[in-house]
Amino acid sequence: MSEPVIKGMKDIPSEHILGAGTALCAGCGALQALHEIYDVLGENTVFVNSAGCMTLMSVYPFTPFRGGWLYTAMASAPAGAQGVRDALDILLAKKRIAPEEDMQVAVLSGDGATYGMGLAAASCAIDRDLDFLYICYDNEGYGNTGNQTSAGTPHASRTATDTGAEGVPGYKKDLFGLWVANRPAYAATVIGAEPLDLARKVEKAKSIKGPKLILALSPCPVGWDYDPMETLEIGRLAVKTGIWPLKEFVDGKVVHTKTPHPRTPVEEYLKLQGRYAHLFSPKRNDALIDEIQSRVDAYWDAVGD
Amino acid sequence: MFRIRFHGRGGQGMKTASHILGSAFFHEGFEVQDAPRYGAERRGAPIFAYVRAARGAINERGIIRHPDLVIVADESLVPVPAAEVLANFAPHTTLLINSAESAETWRERLNLSSPIICLPLAEAGEQAELPYMGVACAAAAARLTGVIGRESLGDTVAEELGSLGEEVVAENLRRALAAFDAMADHEGCVAEGEERLAAPAEGPDWIEMPLDLGEQATPAIHAGATSVEVRTGLWRVMRPVVHEDHCNKCVWICGSLCPDSVISTGAGGYPEVDYDHCKGCMICVAACPRHAIEAVPEHGAAGETAATHEEASP
Ligand SMILES: Cc1ncc(C[n+]2csc(CCOP(=O)(O)OP(=O)(O)O)c2C)c(N)n1
Ligand code: SF4
Ligand code: SF4
Ligand code: SF4
Ligand SMILES: [Mg+2]
Repeated sequence: MSEPVIKGMKDIPSEHILGAGTALCAGCGALQALHEIYDVLGENTVFVNSAGCMTLMSVYPFTPFRGGWLYTAMASAPAGAQGVRDALDILLAKKRIAPEEDMQVAVLSGDGATYGMGLAAASCAIDRDLDFLYICYDNEGYGNTGNQTSAGTPHASRTATDTGAEGVPGYKKDLFGLWVANRPAYAATVIGAEPLDLARKVEKAKSIKGPKLILALSPCPVGWDYDPMETLEIGRLAVKTGIWPLKEFVDGKVVHTKTPHPRTPVEEYLKLQGRYAHLFSPKRNDALIDEIQSRVDAYWDAVGD
Repeated sequence: MFRIRFHGRGGQGMKTASHILGSAFFHEGFEVQDAPRYGAERRGAPIFAYVRAARGAINERGIIRHPDLVIVADESLVPVPAAEVLANFAPHTTLLINSAESAETWRERLNLSSPIICLPLAEAGEQAELPYMGVACAAAAARLTGVIGRESLGDTVAEELGSLGEEVVAENLRRALAAFDAMADHEGCVAEGEERLAAPAEGPDWIEMPLDLGEQATPAIHAGATSVEVRTGLWRVMRPVVHEDHCNKCVWICGSLCPDSVISTGAGGYPEVDYDHCKGCMICVAACPRHAIEAVPEHGAAGETAATHEEASP
């Protein structure tokens, strides 16, 4: 691991290399995180992108990327990353590219692909110790197809497929925990609203060889139903309420990089989002709000906070 | 058959509008098709929705090419080529536009001989009440057809939006009925278009296609960041304006948090917004600790950067 250079906000790259003009929605929290990640990763990155909102960024002949981009089926991005890594290794071995022309390989997948059908391919890539960065932008639903429920959608929120008074009956899968159990080289949760924490983690991931995860909670004005301007406030509240713990797995341990003290009640986060409106009107659903709060409290109790 | 086309921006409720109008026709005994046009439609980007309604079976499919009524919820779309607002206007095609300007002004501006009706939807003190635009457009359109009653329109709105709760329904209903009533002088002015029979289809001759070279069949993009050719600044309804006298030159804050990478460090170390691409999300306004960025309506500010009104070549 090399010495980190990103210590404070002023060290975050001021050069923004992701091209503007993409088709993503105004105020997209996933795009906010991706551009912050890309600024640290640098141009020499090949993105292997599974079907989702982000694939709409590269529609021939337009692309916001400066290195490479490859489109894969929803379940297959980690397999695509293996192919790209192998091809680069062969070119290096045959001296057809110089070592400084080598590129980092990054998977770019949504939560639908990551928590669901792409999970086996990712797990197997970790097993093979593939040198790649897996970026999951987690907008907590199948965003591109109209916000259906995914395995990353939180309990009690309303989606296009769970429209009842109680919202989604299931619970958000612990993807970070699954990765940690798989013993990767590095794993971290981030959010675009905390650019310094994000940049430090991406910098660290960049310096480590092997399978790495950057899991970015990505507020989505369309799917979560709020004014695009609120992306920042909702992102900050996700951290302050403790609903989105910022943490990393490195050297065999999980470390929390930001511990909210005191924690803001989750209600403040929930009530800004239309997908939770049914918890507040026409009648307040205390049972569900309390359940969400007590799950967050139980998480932090277990952490030992 | 009535053929009706809605134009708006993603987020202005055109899909809901077409659905409400379609259901209202249905309640009046019509056969109906209503559909939004999907694609890369995103909040702020031009979108389309279509309604066909007929007394008998509808055999037409697909997008509407010969509209009897075209509804434009957002007048800033008119000069945007990609929005295709004026595509396929026939002399009888009625244009209903959400605008505070007069029909005469639009007639001159567009050099259009078709009937034009202006409906100012923003109520006093509002800039653009996006959530109600769709329902008001649907209601106005309903009146123009002359075949949908006030009551069945109201029932349809209540039925379609019922899941959103009483308050939302009540406000939508109020807006819908106001738009319906505002169109009283024009009731029934939109006539059904003539039947169009599909031309008898002839099978194509067998064509032998030569094999393409790999590079042509699966073209690669060799340049980086070509997306800047797409001017997403057109999506904007509000514009962020930096007041340098309040600004602390901490561009790492607004520059990092802008999702679209359009804030860079400009002259004197102050932030510079690329208005050709800024989508107007107003995250920078929320992010600035010094409140140095102000959100101003795009209409007033438009003169400052003419470039945002040119569409990039597709
Ligand atoms: C195997 C497969 N099933 C379904 C689809 C249709 N599809 C395209 S994008 C998408 C949603 C993906 O969700 P997610 O991975 O969370 O990305 P997001 O759209 O939220 O960005 C779906 C279901 C597909 N492309 N491939
Ligand atoms: S639907 Fe959500 S995640 Fe997808 S582009 Fe729009 S804001 Fe971003
Ligand atoms: S965040 Fe505000 S004060 Fe800081 S550079 Fe941007 S506009 Fe100026
Ligand atoms: S409004 Fe501000 S944050 Fe949003 S795209 Fe424009 S410059 Fe960026
Ligand atoms: Mg998703």
